Amino acid sequence: MALVDPFQEITNDMRATFRVQREWAQRRGLLLLLAYFFTGAGAGTWLFSWYFVFPSGLVLAFIIAAAGGVAHLLFLGRPQRFWRIVVRVQSSWVSRGLVGMGIFMAGALLYMAALWTQGEGTLLGQGALVVSILGAIWLLAYKGLVWAVCKAIPFWNTALLPILYITYGLRGGAAVLLVSLPFLGFGTALEPLELIKLWIAVSSAALILFYLAVMSSSEVTARMSVSQLMGGPVSLAFYLGVVLFGLVIPIGIGLLGNFFPLAVPLLVLVGLSSLVGDFYTTYCVARVGVYRPLAFPVF
Amino acid sequence: MRYGMVIDLKRCIGCYGCHLVCKAENATPPGVFWARVLKREYGRYPNVRRLSVPLLCMQCQEPECEKVCPTGATQKRADGIVTVDASKCVGCRYCMMACPYNARYYHAKERYYFPETGGPTPFEAIGYQKHPPGTVSKCNFCLPRVGAGLEPACVANCMTKARYFGDLDDPYSEVSRLIRDKGGYQLQPELGTDPSVYYLPP
Repeated sequence: MALVDPFQEITNDMRATFRVQREWAQRRGLLLLLAYFFTGAGAGTWLFSWYFVFPSGLVLAFIIAAAGGVAHLLFLGRPQRFWRIVVRVQSSWVSRGLVGMGIFMAGALLYMAALWTQGEGTLLGQGALVVSILGAIWLLAYKGLVWAVCKAIPFWNTALLPILYITYGLRGGAAVLLVSLPFLGFGTALEPLELIKLWIAVSSAALILFYLAVMSSSEVTARMSVSQLMGGPVSLAFYLGVVLFGLVIPIGIGLLGNFFPLAVPLLVLVGLSSLVGDFYTTYCVARVGVYRPLAFPVF
Repeated sequence: MRYGMVIDLKRCIGCYGCHLVCKAENATPPGVFWARVLKREYGRYPNVRRLSVPLLCMQCQEPECEKVCPTGATQKRADGIVTVDASKCVGCRYCMMACPYNARYYHAKERYYFPETGGPTPFEAIGYQKHPPGTVSKCNFCLPRVGAGLEPACVANCMTKARYFGDLDDPYSEVSRLIRDKGGYQLQPELGTDPSVYYLPP
């Protein structure tokens, strides 16, 4: 019988000086990235739909956020024990996120029920709206904080990451509304959204540049993450997904919109491109999460 | 009382004995290594030096894994040992992201060392009851042995006697004396985790 290592990846990881995290980025870990993507986009969609008064957008936001919750559950090794997660709100950001998700879903459901049965002016409707908005803001904020507290992975251990994810959540919300234009018939009411979308796209481009600049002048492990992003195995996903789809296309078409009125198909393209970019941003940040090397004395 | 370990890198010859005896004692499934040995080479020919560094859970006094665990499955005992209650673990793997020492392993699905036999060996059938799939596990300083007044398996079986086990809170214990007299150091002390595993310089 030939001796073949059935765990070549683990063996290589254990030998490597700079070990890449895999559990939150590869195989079943992709479900977690989808969960973060959906919950962020859902929360963003909820906020924009409320602001621009799109009841159908609210339903869409609820469905997207719920899909994120389902993806989150499917990622867990023991999903039937998910209720245990709420017991450590004082300590774990995963717990706080789940509680935030519960608050958002309950508030959103109550608000939609009030909106379609009694109108939003009721006390219940207004209360539920406030709860849902707070829940949505919580969902946007917690994702980055989950990652930012990991001291073991310097590329994530920065206050910039939560800001980046909040920006991308809002971007995702605007993009979902743009993509659903032809289906939900928002019409010309979404024109201000084009401008907002362009502003957020430009802001996120600046944020990503700032994030990479800070990390590349940080300690050695964070620099290793940046080099993997720029020229390593993740570079194709970074240049195509994050830069081209996530930044160049939305910003380029958005700038065109300053000179010519943009047709609906073009707005849908901006939305789709943005969503691809948003997912790839989460994916790339996760994939280049490199652990600090275990420090050995050099003699 | 704070259990701790001292590993003398000058004595360690990198034989992987700790690695194997840990597997035998704790019946960890394939792909799960509570104890392991890293080997590194330093210098340039002809002045090259090889260093073997045995690694295990550092049983930190400020464990990052315990802080982020959303279910309370990871707990630090009064004697300083950090444990994982598999019946509470939800398999979110947040602790794996937070641990700076890569000491935790996720057991995704039931796997056996001899799959050609069509199932677990009698040893695996009993031992794997402690390792339910879908949960994270790690070294616990061989808690059942320590509870019975024995040393952890890796300490008791180290053929070069490179490992020492004892009470770090007792200034007269062998581990405290070695750390004090021989310049014991912790891995990544800058992270503030205060590991209970110390290394003596090679």
